[in-house]
Amino acid sequence: MPHYSKQDILDNPNNTQGFLGFVGKIARINLSTGEVSVIDTYQFVPKYVGGRMIINRIAWDELPPGTGPFDEGNKFIYMTGPTTGTGIPAGGRSEACAIGASNNPEQYSWGNIGGWFATELKYAGWDGFIVEGKAQSPVIIKIKNEKIEILPAGDLWGTRVHQAQEAIAQKYGEEYKSMVIGPAGENLVRIASITHANDCCFSKGGFGAVWGSKKLKAITVCGTGVVAPADLDKLIYLRTHMNQPGMRPSPVLHKTVCGIPGSEFPAVYDRGNVACSPGCNQHCNALLINGVSAFGPERQNHIEKCVSMGTFDYRTDIGSSVGQFWPTKQNYCAPCKMLGQEFPVPDFSDPHFEEQAQGFPGDTYDLWQPDYDRGTIINDLCNEYGIDKWEVVIWMCTWLSMCQKEGLFEGMDNLGCSRPVDASDAEFMKEFIGNLVYRRGYYGNIFAEGMSRAIRTLGYEKFSESIFHNRHSRILGGKRTDIPVSWEAANGQSVHWQGRGFQGAIEKPTWLAMNINNMMNTRDAQTVEHFHAGFEHHAPALADPYHYQGVIDAIIHIQNYADIKDSVMSCEWQSPDPRWPEMESVMYQAATGYPMTPEELMEAAFRSKLLFRAFLIRNHGRTRQSEIASIWRTISIPDSWNEVADWKSWNEMVDLVYEARGFDLETGWPYRETYEKYGLEDVADEMERLGLLPTRPAERWSDYGEPPFVLFSELRKLEPDYEG
Amino acid sequence: MEGYGNHIVQYSPEYSLCAGCEACSIMCGLTHEGFTGPGNCRIRLKLARRSLIHEILSCQQCDDHPCYEACPLKDDAMCIDADTGIVYVNEDSCIGCGRCMKACKFTPSRISLRRSNVKRGTKAVKCDLCRGNPDGPQCIKYCQVVCIGLSDDSVLREDGWWPKSAAPQD
Repeated sequence: MPHYSKQDILDNPNNTQGFLGFVGKIARINLSTGEVSVIDTYQFVPKYVGGRMIINRIAWDELPPGTGPFDEGNKFIYMTGPTTGTGIPAGGRSEACAIGASNNPEQYSWGNIGGWFATELKYAGWDGFIVEGKAQSPVIIKIKNEKIEILPAGDLWGTRVHQAQEAIAQKYGEEYKSMVIGPAGENLVRIASITHANDCCFSKGGFGAVWGSKKLKAITVCGTGVVAPADLDKLIYLRTHMNQPGMRPSPVLHKTVCGIPGSEFPAVYDRGNVACSPGCNQHCNALLINGVSAFGPERQNHIEKCVSMGTFDYRTDIGSSVGQFWPTKQNYCAPCKMLGQEFPVPDFSDPHFEEQAQGFPGDTYDLWQPDYDRGTIINDLCNEYGIDKWEVVIWMCTWLSMCQKEGLFEGMDNLGCSRPVDASDAEFMKEFIGNLVYRRGYYGNIFAEGMSRAIRTLGYEKFSESIFHNRHSRILGGKRTDIPVSWEAANGQSVHWQGRGFQGAIEKPTWLAMNINNMMNTRDAQTVEHFHAGFEHHAPALADPYHYQGVIDAIIHIQNYADIKDSVMSCEWQSPDPRWPEMESVMYQAATGYPMTPEELMEAAFRSKLLFRAFLIRNHGRTRQSEIASIWRTISIPDSWNEVADWKSWNEMVDLVYEARGFDLETGWPYRETYEKYGLEDVADEMERLGLLPTRPAERWSDYGEPPFVLFSELRKLEPDYEG
Repeated sequence: MEGYGNHIVQYSPEYSLCAGCEACSIMCGLTHEGFTGPGNCRIRLKLARRSLIHEILSCQQCDDHPCYEACPLKDDAMCIDADTGIVYVNEDSCIGCGRCMKACKFTPSRISLRRSNVKRGTKAVKCDLCRGNPDGPQCIKYCQVVCIGLSDDSVLREDGWWPKSAAPQD
């Protein structure tokens, strides 16, 4: 029976504005002391909206400079949104932040996760929780409505992800929803993830290792309460209109072909589509049925989004089209429709249809040949050990393959494995990944630190900057183009739609914007900051990719919408919809009853981004110089047109973004008036106290200096076919 | 009987795979009570957290209706619609004793208890196929993949799924 009602939500004395959507409480769970206390949710809203914006405020207040990922003082701050559990599409997702373990250097990181956990937590009467401190021995946090217990979990320690989930369900009941870490998190592997159900993960940021350092194996929750949206009519309108749900059967299909368009290969498998979280009106995740397991004869189902495709076949990279990033209102295909393979019928009357359809084929690499079962095994290894699939597939596997083909592993004892280094060999990958997960041997320990750190330990010059000689641009008719063996982007994260490496075949204005977003973040930003702008901006952006104001405005818009979607609670594949700019404010209104306007949401997003920026400056010493240095090497790698970024123009582009955000150009730090404009006077005061508040110069700053040294660029010049 | 079948059925994945979105149970709660929650939905997902091939559980409107027989206030609290044969709860008279919930022959019970919206105490919650709603069952209306429907066949299928041939053919 429900332990509280809709009326109880409204009767909460802290709920002075009569908010619905939220359930009113955030739990503070201290693993060092065993204490649990309650924080009022309503003190944060509407100013901090929900989700990530509330987390950013808490993190600013509670995570002091000097806090590292494995310190007792680090906190795992988790929040749902007001739409979570209401039935508003995509609201079932949720957000968490902590000082991350996988970022290099270690920095405040964030993640977004799907699944049923968040909704269950709200049914238990909690909008979120803060896990702080460290347990002495393995524990599980068990939440049954108001009752939160920290219980011994020695029996779970050592189990893989799905073994742990199964054991928890058997012990406490099938109605419990769990987030767990696998052995990777327990062993402080920096790329460890936290997993709920099948492949719903906090992967980036290495939060699994943060849990491992706290001896936290799992959090399980069961709730019997209610979540009450404010406006059912608006909610139903959202359900029936957000990206036009198919409302037609979605059968399991028996497939005989796998792979990206233009690079298909024969494979026999069954495929269905499922939603990532309750309440959604789309089903964009592919469910690959009865795949080979890495751990025994039992077949397993796997979720496929986009990264898993790389495990099956890496002869060529994924390509792109103009319309993918520069849509018209007549021809817009939401990403959820693309992933779900429910492409809408194109509107051929669109005068720009031909230009929109222009495609750019991915570069060829021939890293490994098609092998569906091998790919499934690697996916299974990531799922069961609880490690970041992105890092494994996009960075580790490609690096292993390229280094091996370039002969860089000579005399390196097969990297501690019993078989020759071969990323296309499933048995080698099982052993190699197993070694790093359990920190076995010299190399296992090195790779447990994540690719960014491992490469530096092994020797950055050789294992990062050596040229791979078998990349060919299909856009340039098969011309060989240089790429280093390590596909690292800013902040120690792997590339992702950045104009080189995985998902590299995109035009310069698009990759410039993607790299700005990556640079200004602390992890792969593209999971919620894929760049897109109206098609009317495409031609002027191509004409002046670094300075066109339409792109700068779109960057700010996309960056802000990352915080909006992670706070209202929506997802990258549904939001924003260029045809419906008010959608997120309607979602907020439908959930809470508060008349949030799009302008108010945007103001809140500026505020949240400012808090994030202030945190990076105060806690991690972020400056213009440091963030440009973190990305410059990536954009010094040739794109599929064999072009690299220009130092002066790139700096001018950064200037334009900083100016739009109210940052000082020289330091990259916000001015006092910027903080005050968004109601963050207290933050400005602290920054001033710390000497981190810039003064506006009398003249516009433009002393860019010399670009950071990039060894790869120098090595390129030694290539016999170098063209400069 | 127009507009109603005998009970909610789940079609086989070869016709449509349940997306796991729980729109059925969420919209059930929203359209009946205006809020969501596990205690007030009349249809629910048996979540398969690893395989993601879920089972949908709802009242089967059994011909022998043991829930109705167990009700101490039958025909007042637990009632049978004379026109459609639907077994439904009259909330005004339900005393929340839970006997219907225990009498249900399915595990888990397809009847649950929730707090009353209007007065103290509890009420039984059970699928009434959205009796009286001209649009029919809302769980079916809002299922994004049409993996559930209505069947007049009161035979329970052991595997839980109804074949493609039982689904709408258009």
